[in-house]
Amino acid sequence: MVKIYNDYKDHVDFLTVYVREAHPTDEWQMKSNVKEDVCYAQPKTLEQRVAIANDFVQRQKYPLPFGIDDMNDAADLAYSAWPERLYIIDEHGRIAYAGGMGPFNYDPEEVRAWLAKRYGPVTQSSSAAAPSKP
Amino acid sequence: MSRFWKWTLGSVLGLLVAAFVGLSLMAGSPKDVYGLVRYAFPHMHRGKLRAGDDAPDVRLLALDGSNRFHLRERTGARPLVVIFGSYT
Repeated sequence: MVKIYNDYKDHVDFLTVYVREAHPTDEWQMKSNVKEDVCYAQPKTLEQRVAIANDFVQRQKYPLPFGIDDMNDAADLAYSAWPERLYIIDEHGRIAYAGGMGPFNYDPEEVRAWLAKRYGPVTQSSSAAAPSKP
Repeated sequence: MSRFWKWTLGSVLGLLVAAFVGLSLMAGSPKDVYGLVRYAFPHMHRGKLRAGDDAPDVRLLALDGSNRFHLRERTGARPLVVIFGSYT
């Protein structure tokens, strides 16, 4: 998504929303996260969510605008966001694109295709600093 | 036990084993099958929003941990790409 952000940030706005963890240590931990030292328990407080979100942004040098879902999971519930999902909201406040549930149906290339159809293909960005999540 | 019930029971067990092996391959390991069933399957029916629907507004917290804003505040001037996810 960072590459798409770099390619299209002059045309559209971006917002990353941190929702509850998908693979915390106290639930369904993945070996890949242990290998990469990304090990967090499921946050029980908003402060813990803020801390993990900041860890992510700093460690990945993540440049996109960021927001954090409240402990009532309002964003997750409204957008069926967990574990990861993509949307595009148009200028009128309506859903223009609704992606599938990640990871199997999480497809940034569908977002790129929507943007390319509207603004033309853009591929200026380098593949260097492109974290895989969110 | 009659021959019919033996075949039925054998078929059911065979299907269960095949499903377990299939899920293990899909999830990565037999241990991950539990995670898939426990945590992912309950969410697979979600995702009712479709193109053309009004985008729900939600209140979010900024990275500084104190300022709050509404998602709706970020929409209007240009399309907004929203990426939901977590670190793990």
